[in-house]
Amino acid sequence: MRLIDAEVASGLRLLTRTLRRYRRDMALAIAGALVWMAMIVTVPFITSRIVDDAIFAGRRDLLVPLVALLVGAGALLGLGIGVRRYFGFRVSYRAEADLRNRMFEHMQRLAFSFHDMTSTGELMARASSDLSQVRLIYAMTPITLANVAMFLTVIVVLIVLDPVLGGVVSLTVPTLLVSARFYAARVIRLSFEVQQRLADLSQTVEESIGGIQVVKSYGQEAQEQAKLDLAADRIYAKATRLASIRSRFAPLFEMIPSVATIAVLWIGGVRVIGGQITLGEFVAFTQYLAVLNFPLRITGWFFAQLPRAAAASSRIQALLAEDPLIEDPADPTALPRGRGEVRFHGVSFAYDHGPPVLDDIDLTIPGGTSVALVGSTGAGKTTLAHLVPRFRDLEVGSITVDGVDVRRLHLDELRSEVAVVFQETFLFSASVRDNIAFGDPTATDEQIRLAARLAQAHDFISDLPDGYDTVVGERGYSLSGGQRQRVALARAVLRDPRVLILDDATSSVDAIVEAEMLAALEQVMRGRTTIIIAHRTSTLALVDRVVFLDDGRIAAEGRHADLVRTNPRYGEVLAQEASRR
Amino acid sequence: MTTALDDGTVIGDVRIVRRALQLGRGLGWAATGALVAATVATGARLLGPLVVRGGIDDGIGAGDRGRITAAAVAYITLLVVQYLAQWTAQYSVAMLGEKYLRVLRETVFAHLMRLDMAFYGRAKAGVLVSRMTNDIESIQEFAEEGAVTLVTNLLTIVGVSAAMLLVDSRLALQVFVLILVLLVASRVFQRYAGRAYREVREQIGRVLASLQEGITGVRVVQAFTREREQAGSFDRVNEDYFEANMRAARAVAWYFPIVAFLRVVGISIVLLLGGRRVIAGDLSFGSLVSMLLYLDWFFQPIINLSNTYNQLQSAGAALGKLLRLIDTEPAVADRPGARPLPDRVRGEVRFEDVAFGYDPDLLVVESVELTVAPGERVAVVGETGAGKSTLAKLALRFYDPVRGAVLIDGIDVAGATLESRPRHVVLIPQEGFLFNGTLRDNLRYARPDATDDELWAVCRTIGIEAGVRELPERLDTMVRERGSRFSVGERQLIALARALLADPAVIVLDEATANLDPQTETRVERALGTLLEGRTAIVIAHRLRSAERADRVVMMDEGRIIAIGSHDELLRSSEPYARLVSVWERGLLR
Repeated sequence: MRLIDAEVASGLRLLTRTLRRYRRDMALAIAGALVWMAMIVTVPFITSRIVDDAIFAGRRDLLVPLVALLVGAGALLGLGIGVRRYFGFRVSYRAEADLRNRMFEHMQRLAFSFHDMTSTGELMARASSDLSQVRLIYAMTPITLANVAMFLTVIVVLIVLDPVLGGVVSLTVPTLLVSARFYAARVIRLSFEVQQRLADLSQTVEESIGGIQVVKSYGQEAQEQAKLDLAADRIYAKATRLASIRSRFAPLFEMIPSVATIAVLWIGGVRVIGGQITLGEFVAFTQYLAVLNFPLRITGWFFAQLPRAAAASSRIQALLAEDPLIEDPADPTALPRGRGEVRFHGVSFAYDHGPPVLDDIDLTIPGGTSVALVGSTGAGKTTLAHLVPRFRDLEVGSITVDGVDVRRLHLDELRSEVAVVFQETFLFSASVRDNIAFGDPTATDEQIRLAARLAQAHDFISDLPDGYDTVVGERGYSLSGGQRQRVALARAVLRDPRVLILDDATSSVDAIVEAEMLAALEQVMRGRTTIIIAHRTSTLALVDRVVFLDDGRIAAEGRHADLVRTNPRYGEVLAQEASRR
Repeated sequence: MTTALDDGTVIGDVRIVRRALQLGRGLGWAATGALVAATVATGARLLGPLVVRGGIDDGIGAGDRGRITAAAVAYITLLVVQYLAQWTAQYSVAMLGEKYLRVLRETVFAHLMRLDMAFYGRAKAGVLVSRMTNDIESIQEFAEEGAVTLVTNLLTIVGVSAAMLLVDSRLALQVFVLILVLLVASRVFQRYAGRAYREVREQIGRVLASLQEGITGVRVVQAFTREREQAGSFDRVNEDYFEANMRAARAVAWYFPIVAFLRVVGISIVLLLGGRRVIAGDLSFGSLVSMLLYLDWFFQPIINLSNTYNQLQSAGAALGKLLRLIDTEPAVADRPGARPLPDRVRGEVRFEDVAFGYDPDLLVVESVELTVAPGERVAVVGETGAGKSTLAKLALRFYDPVRGAVLIDGIDVAGATLESRPRHVVLIPQEGFLFNGTLRDNLRYARPDATDDELWAVCRTIGIEAGVRELPERLDTMVRERGSRFSVGERQLIALARALLADPAVIVLDEATANLDPQTETRVERALGTLLEGRTAIVIAHRLRSAERADRVVMMDEGRIIAIGSHDELLRSSEPYARLVSVWERGLLR
């Protein structure tokens, strides 16, 4: 056996530690499996006794009691299977559900820095396919334990029955086990490759359907069809390789016990004639062979699957071990009353030991005033803004809201007073009402409407098929970009925060929508500290002050109209920024 | 219509089975071969116990070693035959399945490509992708394992029944009474488990959707410190899934014990009734033993079939959805007697009393009369939802009008072949959509036979030649997913070069809404000017400049044209247009 590497070992540790929480169910499942196993061995034994002691001996009087015994064993056998299956399933589904919950809860707490580096697909895979691997192993554990116990028992029984014949028959066990493990490993690897090709096909289809306008415009359906056919051919090639291996090996597994049957017939027949064994024992041998076949294949599969499950579980473990980084302080301070003054003091920031993104920023935004951050991509605008609600934590310098360091505040209190509208608006698949009330589910309809009015969203929401009850988001009614942004804006102002951060809220809307957005912005900014990241002139004209970030420093400050005149670099960056989007 | 396809089971629907078989035309011979091989394999397997009986009765019973050897040799021969036949059967059934899947993938996709744009407007892209992926994969699962299990086990059941009748019909019939009980139990199980598994499939869909939403929305969740509540609502969905799984588990935990118990009861019946007759001397001992062997082969296939049932059911449901998709007729297709448009057209586009609605009762475009002269540039303006885009795309025959006609050079496009339209009328969509592949692939998309010289020529005309030459891999540069290698402006320029290569007489331009910086803007404007030179252009306009540059402006409102004329004329005569222009001016201070 090859040495288990550390990664797999950590995965196995998570497997066993999780299992400990379901001790009772697991014990019951194993008990059921053992009863099942015992009866599987007992049934052929009773059969052989019936054949020898009753039928062959011609004792009709023994027939009925022995058969009754057999039926009793059958009932126990059924009971064992039922208990094993029910509790085995329960352990595995419970473990799956609980681990998925833990992962979800943990993912919700992980900082932005983690989510920036990890794709949605990867996290989805952790909580679905990796988890299925783990569940399978749990579901298989009781039956595998019982199977192993059974081989040992059956082999002992056979050798006791007849050492020669028993020895021959027990040779099939290692043969079957080793070849089953070998086979399962190959099949599992090939299946994985088929999966990857399926993913390639999925990407091709997504692209053809996403670009259907271009396809139709140029009448290039045939070209797309050719791409698809290629992907389908590649799946076909791998899938048929898999089929070829399956078809060659699977019948072989059925054969191996039959080969042993020949041995039993040949060697056993001669030994019956010679009087070394009885006819009943001979029958029992043939039955044991049939009984061993299936469990051996399952066991081979189990050991082939185990490394994969351990690897999957180690990936899950790594996710669960990820540090959330940003948490509530041990003894939080309450936020005093104030108008939302935000002060950056000597703020420097770098991502993961990279070059500094922000370099010694000092900036005070008096309560109730508005500031626009302008700078080229990578100048640190979003980073600077995200430091206020603690989406990231500072290493150098400090940030205060109304005089209190943000790291001394309860996250809940901080984030209810510092609201953010992200560059990419995200709406949940829920009603417009629920989306606006997301930050405060206790909000009344009155408050929700007020927030929507403030964000200039009330009119179009009222025009939706079900008004505020219209379900939006990925699985609902599709809103336009500008409409989504206004719903997000309403969501942010619902809690009436002291500080509002708007990240590029008008970047991708057309002129008419932009005009509506501007009206909304003017409303919500009134009397509220606002930090807005923007590059559109129309937006910049709205704010009290523009802060121009260049190379991680504040290069200039002032009104937009003045900066355009006095700072040529400012105009350049604005133009550059616009072209990127 | 496609969104409402997730209804129940279709197994047993003869029509679906027939349609499914039609798709697999040409695979008939292979299927027959597979069936023959499977029959041979099953036959060989079933003969085994008969040989064992012969060995016992004539060999062991009679004390004849020669007979035992003969039986063993016969058994080995049977094994070899069985193995070869089983291999062949399993291989051909699987190959058959894979071939069928390939046909299915190609057919469904070909149909998707044929479907019209109104269909794409209705259907959700995600649903269509899942038809091609999840649904076909669930059929694949069945094809890889289930189909073989189904065929060989059904054959085994038939064969075993025959063999048991052959060995001893009285004993066989007595055992068959049990089979009735088993069949009833299986039927109940299938109904119950079928429902449970269907629910499991629905719940896993909800879990995944909820999971994805939780991950993509995590920043919003944290911004509003709703982590705990979010985890709580996920927990509820997750718990529902657990419950659904447990319902299925309970069905399984009832059914399999019953099957196992019935098997032992079967053995008991054989031993009790058969044993009495052996003692009485009217049944041979070998027959009893072979009966016991057959009994095992009778129960295992039924267990196997029950295990396959869930797979069969999802495959059947998926197949039903796919067939219904294939049955959706494209609303735009070649009509009987359709003729290609002529090789050269001047590019006059005429809308004659055109009306169109995605839903025929809800017209989006109504009573449109408009003639665009060859080489003319027309800007269509109006508020969101006024029908600008639909009107312009009627010229591409993305939709067929419900009333009236769209004519190119006086020829009704609805009567022309679909294949001939792209040579003359081309759309440039808002976002410069690029396909994953090289720059060359993307440029050549319009004309797959274009030479590199021609590609460089269009790059030169559009003004991106220098830029492309600076790329390390030039035309071989990978554009990455959706063209993310390039900026928005660059993508637009590449899309323009692509359109130029197609050299159409008519261009429908869906103007981008995103603002570009003045420099890029100028480049795109200049490239557009070159591209549109001498071509008819219908521009879906979102900005003042496009309206100013057009020869004529068409102002739309609620699907109707409310004013036509030059920008200056409309500014004077049309009050709604003047209003629109003033909004544009306020929005674009630059």
